[in-house]
Amino acid sequence: MQKELEKKFLADFTKNQNIVHKICRIYTSSADAHNDLFQEITIQLWKNYPKFRGDSKFSTWMYRVALNTSISLYRKSTKRINTQNFNDVAYKVKSTEYDDTEEVQLKALYEAIHKLSDIEKALIFLYLENKSYQEISETLGISNGNARVKMNRAKEKLKNMLNP
Amino acid sequence: MDILDNYKKAWENQPEENERVSVGEIYKMAHSRSSSIVKWIFIIGILEFVVFNSLYFFTDMEEAHRQYQELGLENFVLYTQIIAYAILFYFLVMFYLNYKNISTSDSTRVLMRKIIRTRRTVRNYVLFNLGYIALVMIVFTIASINVNMEDLNGKQIALLIGAMSIFTFLILGVMFLFYQLIYGILLRKLRRNYKELAKLEDE
Repeated sequence: MQKELEKKFLADFTKNQNIVHKICRIYTSSADAHNDLFQEITIQLWKNYPKFRGDSKFSTWMYRVALNTSISLYRKSTKRINTQNFNDVAYKVKSTEYDDTEEVQLKALYEAIHKLSDIEKALIFLYLENKSYQEISETLGISNGNARVKMNRAKEKLKNMLNP
Repeated sequence: MDILDNYKKAWENQPEENERVSVGEIYKMAHSRSSSIVKWIFIIGILEFVVFNSLYFFTDMEEAHRQYQELGLENFVLYTQIIAYAILFYFLVMFYLNYKNISTSDSTRVLMRKIIRTRRTVRNYVLFNLGYIALVMIVFTIASINVNMEDLNGKQIALLIGAMSIFTFLILGVMFLFYQLIYGILLRKLRRNYKELAKLEDE
């Protein structure tokens, strides 16, 4: 039974791991910290997996656990905020098929997101991942209306940073 | 078109992580040890319970018992200790239940509230202990003065009360600072984030 569960978890997680990588990129500033957070998220996902009933999508549940770990459980990243070496991020997202302009935009986007607070990061991340306000408010545990207000502020802040 | 829409497109088109983690590595990671603050809160909490309850081992119980008798405080000590153990039991159960209740599948706000509540259980236990220490100090001072009333003059009584007060304040003060430090280091980020979410709900 345990083996079955483990197998399913590993398959689901390996398939969806890119979500966790994106979250690690916005919450950490070095390759070491990235791996560190990735590991902690993996531990938390596995620990909570028996409680995952499958009444929501695996990825939805994954967003929640991964963001929660980054915001509330992980503390090593705080020391290195704002010292991001963007080549660290750049090498990770470099691809021949990827448009140059978009690559520049993506770098600028990551740079700006790094300057947001932990909560704002989560909001912007969920927005970029096309999540509905319903899902965002449920993930963060705030009302739908408040999620909208907070989101608009975070977006304004981001826009000002991207286009001063 | 909104300026963010362009960036959103770049976000959506970003390639997958180059360094994908293999199934084997994920397996290893999933079974490694967590270093989350919840785990630290649990370890530190347990240590606090242990430290506060092992203080008795450092005192000479026979000698202490003789002194209680001399001061006529046997009953006081007995009853307060029974109460103290009952309270310890209550706090231990609450601490464990709160800790068990922490789940990363909860919403961010609920999760943070539960972590803070678990931490607060231990803090309340420590506050209770400090209060208990202060109470014992006061009762002992009063009892000492009562027993030795005939031998002491006003100045000596004042001196005794002064010395005991300073001693009590010193212990409580050091403990308080120690707590601010642990609490501060461990929960600073969490509290800041919690405030940010909670503030919004109040607006």
